[in-house]
Amino acid sequence: MNTIETAKLEEHMEGQPNDTSNGYSRPSLSVSEENKNGTSKPKGLSNGLRKTAKKYPDYIQIAMPAESRNKFPLEWWKTGIAFVYALFNLILTTVMITVVHERVPPKELSPPLPDKFFDYIDRVKWAFSVSEINGMILLGLWIFQWLFLRYKSIVGRRFFFIIGTLYLYRCITMYVTTLPVPGMHFQCAPKLNGDSQAKVQRILRLISGGGLSITGSHILCGDFLFSGHTVVLTLVYLFIKESNLLRMHFIHLSKLLMSNAAGIICILVAHEHYTVDVIIAYYITTRLFWWYHSMANEKTLKVSSQTNFLSRAWWYPIFYFFEKNVQGSVPCSFSWPISWPPSCFKSSCKKYSRVQ
Amino acid sequence: IPGEMKEVVLWSPEEVTSWLMDNAVPEYCEPLKSFTGRDLINLTEEDFRKSPLSRVSSDSGQRLLNMIEGLKMAHHMEAHKNGHANGHVRAGDPARQNGFGAALKLNGIPNGFKKEMIKIPMPEPERSQYPMEWGKTFLAFIYALLCFVFTTVTISVVHERVPPKEVQPPLPDAFFDRFDRVQWAFSICEINGMILVGLWFVQWLLLKYKSIISRRFFCIVGTLYLYRCITMYVTTLPVPGMHFKCSPKLFGDWESHLRRIMKLIAGGGLSITGSHNMCGDYLYSGHTVILTLTYLFIKEYSPRRLWWYHWLCWALSMVGMFCILLAHDHYTVDVVVAYYITTRLFWWYHTMANQQVLKEASQTNLLARVWWYKPFQYFEKNVQGIVPRSYHWPLRCPALARGRQVKYSRLVSDT
Repeated sequence: MNTIETAKLEEHMEGQPNDTSNGYSRPSLSVSEENKNGTSKPKGLSNGLRKTAKKYPDYIQIAMPAESRNKFPLEWWKTGIAFVYALFNLILTTVMITVVHERVPPKELSPPLPDKFFDYIDRVKWAFSVSEINGMILLGLWIFQWLFLRYKSIVGRRFFFIIGTLYLYRCITMYVTTLPVPGMHFQCAPKLNGDSQAKVQRILRLISGGGLSITGSHILCGDFLFSGHTVVLTLVYLFIKESNLLRMHFIHLSKLLMSNAAGIICILVAHEHYTVDVIIAYYITTRLFWWYHSMANEKTLKVSSQTNFLSRAWWYPIFYFFEKNVQGSVPCSFSWPISWPPSCFKSSCKKYSRVQ
Repeated sequence: IPGEMKEVVLWSPEEVTSWLMDNAVPEYCEPLKSFTGRDLINLTEEDFRKSPLSRVSSDSGQRLLNMIEGLKMAHHMEAHKNGHANGHVRAGDPARQNGFGAALKLNGIPNGFKKEMIKIPMPEPERSQYPMEWGKTFLAFIYALLCFVFTTVTISVVHERVPPKEVQPPLPDAFFDRFDRVQWAFSICEINGMILVGLWFVQWLLLKYKSIISRRFFCIVGTLYLYRCITMYVTTLPVPGMHFKCSPKLFGDWESHLRRIMKLIAGGGLSITGSHNMCGDYLYSGHTVILTLTYLFIKEYSPRRLWWYHWLCWALSMVGMFCILLAHDHYTVDVVVAYYITTRLFWWYHTMANQQVLKEASQTNLLARVWWYKPFQYFEKNVQGIVPRSYHWPLRCPALARGRQVKYSRLVSDT
């Protein structure tokens, strides 16, 4: 039947003059023809079919969806939501630290747990400052690089979401079981049993100091499993590496890695966290980062299906909401943060776009 | 069309010509125009080497000869339709076989019917989509075994370092604050674990692609125990409850160490068997790993419509995990971390195994950055696609193997 129809169309084609691009001049005939044969073809199809049938009588037109939108829409409002999510989780963490602090057993009663690293390496007092300075430098570097990214909003959204989720996980592990202080050098602030005002003050102080010891805001104990410092160091390093600073050579990248590793090791050298805290933090951070980005980059993994196990994570619906309009992996391109018409350059990172 | 044509031998030249035209070999019409049906079927290769046929034929008549064979076959089929089971015995003409290789397969045709059948060359099915490769499974088994042994050694080492419970009281735990200890709960957990392992084992026996699936199981459980060794070793948590009776420390006595390790392995690390009275292996919980992993494997590799079976196993698993905590045998964080790591590893591994595109390392495939990617590729590179859930009886029992697979081959829609 289809071949009969096509043949008919061809016949009609030949019968028409050459500018039939605007449709059938004998609609009644075609309709009656179609009705007679009991088949019905959509009008649109006939039109297109005729156009191409003119040039290629044997060809069948396959309708393609119109490519209307941008491949990487910015959608700043989604980034805003992610930012609020991260902020909420950060605040939740600070509240949790304050709560957990009340439950930490005093170090006389509950001495530090045996730790392999601590057995071999003695405490170095200034090491923690080194680690925090490292963290701040890396964070600064990351923000600086982020400003120059072309697809700021998408990358920023991812950063906020991942760090928010990591801090959420951290809340859970901190809360359920309270580890004792890792070293006798810890000066924990006194417990405020039930004094809510003072607790709120503490929370604000912690937030304003960014949770760093250097700023003197972190005098609370009990937030050991897992290490937030390691999370930030590792995550920022992963993001920088992934976005790949302008023409970052291998040497620079390894310097970055060393500084990241040094930061983490200094945490341990300072006896500020147990080794297991750092290891678990590193593991969870890297896995979450790679998981999220693999799902975001691979179209087949964005859809939830029986064989796509990655979509079984609890945060999959949130991920889908954030990433559904992003088509494919975000290219690493840069632009001036303040849009300056002549200076909008697109320098694609050689390392990134090169097929390895 | 067999039923309607006359026997070839009775064809007249006109019928021969019309047959040639119908079969799109008009070039032969001219030279064969005086051929009757009998002459047609008596054509041999020799005839194609001489003129006039040699002039007309481009492939020395192979195609035409094949068509004639087909014709003959059709007609003989007709003639022998009514039960000439041992019909035509005609010695094959080896020249016609043209060295196409292996034996001809003609299962539906009466015995000894024809040896000059036409073989359609099919590409050799290279290899199965899901090769068994028991060698790799054995390697994975050795790996898992090594990890188990390493874990027992680590437990034995860590036991020496656990601070006595008087010196280091149990850590504050959110669950312990709310629920008091129930003594028999841990036995429930271990019984649940044993039931789940037993169910999984029985299910594994019924699977068709046993070796691939068990390879995955060994890899994953081995890696989880390896991770467990690391977390157990680096930091030693104190005992979670004052009820613990840890066996005395053996300072440097290697023999007793070895004996203890043997005892632990022999008992499977379970308290029920009395093999596990060592302390220190808290972060993270091996029992949770086994409960979760067996449930995940059972659910993944069983028919989807057995929802009641999945729910049963899920309930066993959940109750088991709850009972671990109720018995105050592990901290909550041990169970939480164990659950997280097990599920993530399982899903990560299976996603990579199911998608061909993830089996190659690339810039966008960040899943490939795990340290175990190379061994994974080695194990899974020959598995093409998703391993289907097929079942069969493990022992070839002809009486029982009666179309059980019919159930399997029904397409189950994805929900």
